Amino acid sequence: MVYSIAEHIISPLGVGIEANLTALHEGRTALQWHDTLHGTTLVEPIYGSVLPDTPYLIDGYTLFESWCICCVQGALHHSINSSFLASPRTIFILSSTKGDIWTPNTETARHIAQFFGNTQSPIVVSLACTSGVSAQITAWRLLECGMYDTAVVIGCDVLTDFVAAGFQCVHATSMQPCRPFDKDREGLNLGEAVGCLILRHSINSHECGASIHHSINSSLAASAAHQWSLLGGSIHNDANHISGPSRTAEGAYRCLQDMLSIVDKDDLACVSVHGTATLYNDEMESIALHRAGLDEVPVSALKGYYGHTMGAAGVVETILTMHALDKGFIPAVRGFEQQGTTYAANVSNQERTTSKNSFIKLLSGFGGVNAAIAWTKESIVASEQQFAFGETTICASEQQFADSPIHRFTGSPIHRFNLSSAYKALAIDYPKFYKMDTLSKVAFVAVEQLLQQVRQNQPDFTLDSERCVLIFANRYSSICDNRAFQKTIENKDDYFPSPALFVYTLPNVMMGEIAIRHHLFGETACYILDKEEDLQPIVQSTFTDSPIHRFPDSPTQALVAWVECTDDEHFEAHVQLITK
Amino acid sequence: MEQLKQQLKQQIIDALNLEEMQPADIVDDAPLFGEGLGLDSIDSLELIMMLDKNYGIKFSDKAAAKQAFASVNALAQYVFDNRTK
Repeated sequence: MVYSIAEHIISPLGVGIEANLTALHEGRTALQWHDTLHGTTLVEPIYGSVLPDTPYLIDGYTLFESWCICCVQGALHHSINSSFLASPRTIFILSSTKGDIWTPNTETARHIAQFFGNTQSPIVVSLACTSGVSAQITAWRLLECGMYDTAVVIGCDVLTDFVAAGFQCVHATSMQPCRPFDKDREGLNLGEAVGCLILRHSINSHECGASIHHSINSSLAASAAHQWSLLGGSIHNDANHISGPSRTAEGAYRCLQDMLSIVDKDDLACVSVHGTATLYNDEMESIALHRAGLDEVPVSALKGYYGHTMGAAGVVETILTMHALDKGFIPAVRGFEQQGTTYAANVSNQERTTSKNSFIKLLSGFGGVNAAIAWTKESIVASEQQFAFGETTICASEQQFADSPIHRFTGSPIHRFNLSSAYKALAIDYPKFYKMDTLSKVAFVAVEQLLQQVRQNQPDFTLDSERCVLIFANRYSSICDNRAFQKTIENKDDYFPSPALFVYTLPNVMMGEIAIRHHLFGETACYILDKEEDLQPIVQSTFTDSPIHRFPDSPTQALVAWVECTDDEHFEAHVQLITK
Repeated sequence: MEQLKQQLKQQIIDALNLEEMQPADIVDDAPLFGEGLGLDSIDSLELIMMLDKNYGIKFSDKAAAKQAFASVNALAQYVFDNRTK
């Protein structure tokens, strides 16, 4: 079982969990007008929530790194001894859509991990607005598979003129406080915050040999008689559109269905939704809740307090929901007045009380991706308080697939050729190809080539709509598109931010294109890693030895790819198809 | 007006990366969205930005944009009537 052993939040509403919960309880918001962001004057001001710079800056570290480091330190507050962070059995997982935009995200993550003496290659989860939930899913799987004992999950994004211009040009922002699920909602407010969750796997002491109590657990045990446990999570694509959510909530509905296979609906205190207050997101979520039979379950939506904190949202909103439930309340949905969705989700602008101990956290994002996790609070019994350290290995799920043969098919690596010619050589009719960015084109061509090779031996082969997972990674994220979009906004006298370019500044959008092409509703997960080999534990914990076999449609196919594009002429892709 | 139409067609092709198309492939009175060129919501935002950049056009509401995007004929007329540069 995976538990949270420490949490912390730094937000414009305060430092620490108590300060933030008090703000929610008192109905305070951090949203206000800003015409500058961290020293940069905006061409168009935003209504949003912004963190101050100076109190957190650490010498030799960027603002982003400083926020993350301060947040991990805050989470360690109770700990006498934080040496476990330096252990090779501890992994740092960073959730961010942009990181420090002009630095490879893994360099940033490595600086943060090394501050705490950790020298493992960190993992950066870059799955648009679902990153914060997806990072927890990655951590859960790695811990469940016994690859690590501890995962430090950090969610952070800095609000920049780049991000502001992007959301403004796709007409997603509101010029007034956002109104989740309300009939007059006009769009989202951007925000920034940082959250940290430290997760650990507990192992029954007589099964795994020596276990030790850690000081964090000891101090927590002194103050609380329970612990929050992460039951699991799932990711699904809409296979519909790279920026708009599905009109029928295909991905979000499947995520909720998966969660209902591991948590009882009657035990749910609330579903903590994305609730961005855009017309389409909230409508889609109301449909997903309805299809999953969750109309009656109270909805928690926190964007009216913090705005949309991007890569931090999933982590921060999870922590806030956990601690609000500890105090027996579901925060009021600030900004909601009158139902404005097709289905009446159980939304209230009043704080509600609850004695229930489980919740689902749901998010959706560009690239058609949706992600959900389920948490439950459990009483601590003495024997369960023990956490494994050292050379313990558990592979609870390994046995499940011991008899399933694993097939691998590796496509030819592609690099440096004319992508249009390669597309034409495929002899398929998919004009949308021309509108894609280079990264997506490279991924598209590599996958199609691989499939054509597979079909030479198995003419009937198709990717399974429900049971194929896509696991893609690279080192330089969407650097080409970031540069191209930056060009459209850097000259204040010729300021025309491009909506099409902005959408592609998220690397997981390439997977959205492939999901649309092949009607794939399964997982599409995107990672920023130092090197291709770092994909291996992720593939193992997602697919070959995955704990997600518990869900109804556990995957039988995985498309694993390293797709890199540093400019329009320098790119490479290695794609592998694994089936079982 | 004919020259404006040709210019708009080329600008649409450039703005939306319709790499394989020539201005002559876009029929003057065919709808730009839906069945016509198969454009979507992001394309529509991209066209709005392109018209602002090249002609100084700012759409007051969605209905005006919808009307302008009915076809190249409608777009040329709209640009002719509303351009500020």
